Amino acid sequence: MRHPAEGTLRRLADEPSAITDPDRAHVAACPDCQETLSTVRKEAALIGAALHTEAAPDVDAGWRRLSDAFAAPMTAAEAIRVGRRAPVPRWRGPMVAVAAVVALLTGATAAVATDWLRVFHTEEIAPVTISRADLLALPDLSAYGDVEVTEEPHVRDVPDAAAASEATGLAVPEVTSLPRGVSGQPVYQAGDRVTAVFTFDGDRAGGPPELDGARFRLTAGPGVAAVWAEDRGVPALIVGRAVAPAAYSDSGVDFATARDHLLSLSGLPADVAAQLRAFTGDGTTLPLHVMDEKLTSAPADVNGAPATVLTSRDGVLAAVVWVRDGVVTAVAGSLSADEVLTVARGLA
Amino acid sequence: MRADLEEIFRDAYPRVVAVAARVLGGRDEAEDVAQEVFLSFGRSAVPAGEAIGWLCVAAAHTALNHLRSGRRRVAREADEAAPDPVPDVADAVVTREERRRVREALGRLPRKAAVALVLRHSGLSYAEVAAALDLSPGSVGTTVRRAESALREELIRHASSR
Repeated sequence: MRHPAEGTLRRLADEPSAITDPDRAHVAACPDCQETLSTVRKEAALIGAALHTEAAPDVDAGWRRLSDAFAAPMTAAEAIRVGRRAPVPRWRGPMVAVAAVVALLTGATAAVATDWLRVFHTEEIAPVTISRADLLALPDLSAYGDVEVTEEPHVRDVPDAAAASEATGLAVPEVTSLPRGVSGQPVYQAGDRVTAVFTFDGDRAGGPPELDGARFRLTAGPGVAAVWAEDRGVPALIVGRAVAPAAYSDSGVDFATARDHLLSLSGLPADVAAQLRAFTGDGTTLPLHVMDEKLTSAPADVNGAPATVLTSRDGVLAAVVWVRDGVVTAVAGSLSADEVLTVARGLA
Repeated sequence: MRADLEEIFRDAYPRVVAVAARVLGGRDEAEDVAQEVFLSFGRSAVPAGEAIGWLCVAAAHTALNHLRSGRRRVAREADEAAPDPVPDVADAVVTREERRRVREALGRLPRKAAVALVLRHSGLSYAEVAAALDLSPGSVGTTVRRAESALREELIRHASSR
């Protein structure tokens, strides 16, 4: 009888009952297999000892921490991490507009609370540093009026890049060289345009008379994304592209009037409000919220387009986002800033 | 947040932390990884019966990602603040250095082999490891054995090159 494979001997060391009777009998009578089994056991013990780490966590404290995390809105880093680890990453729910990349990067609260700031055509993106406490203090739009989503994004998987392009009319970014540690084929996703109409309510928000009943139509998308996963779906890289947010008013209200009034109500610190006023002055710059506790931002250049690089303070995540010709593109993943920039600059 | 989360959390949290700790070599960062994993799980529709396998695999992957992203930081910190080998803390320094070497070697293994190795040494059965990694139970022993040999060789090779 041939000798059992080392894998079988390895299992014999752990789960003897799982090995067939003939194999067990052979090993018991075979000096060579006994010697191999002894080596296998020693190495298993050695590796077990090398990997062993004392870890007796406080379960109650852990549960409180997790409960607190669920009570708070997702941060940008968390949103991306959740997407990274889902077995089949999907962007669903109200937190994700079809401008999926922007929403993903700015996080749920930022996306909802500051949609009014997108009441313009986006030509560039600029970071706005804001603390978590200030972000959480922002009321959402329902505090100022009524929001009705009139077109849903319908984000779904599609078979390939061609199908994503056909569904959205967007050229799907092609990654020419994957970073180290990322391999295989991506899952492609497509989403339709999302549209919401916001009607300002003077009873709730006060303000000048012309604001009462003023309507703004906010649009974003369509969008596409390619997501690379490893093994059981631990995504390492996301490349997304979407038609940048824009907005329209049918009431003739001057954007600056609405902006200044909402900023006065939001309770934002003066310096943050000043940043927003400055960025939105020409109606073409989309503020990208950077929570100081979680992310750092830095300017960069992607083949001539000004870009913003975001890096999580724990070093786990990096992303780069830029706008060209009214289309926002982002590269994000469990990578370094250099790696996402390399991918971004190499997109075909 | 899913309704069964607390029950699953209380049952699985120590095990999930242990998986991450085997990869990272420390409890604090392992608890951070476990929190991330449960945050993701809490928003998922993973069936309760598959929870422990899903959580452990996610913990191993996430911890390996931390390991990879943290390697540069660790190396930089080591360069900037190499500790003086004070005699009475020499043992602690050696232990920390050995732990770091093990983790770096683990990070160099093929991803699936590293995950299988960590899961097995965290106490998952061969059937559980097989289900978690889409392997046949019969091939788990081979995967784990090769990973152990590879890790040992990595440690030896790295030690001899220093």
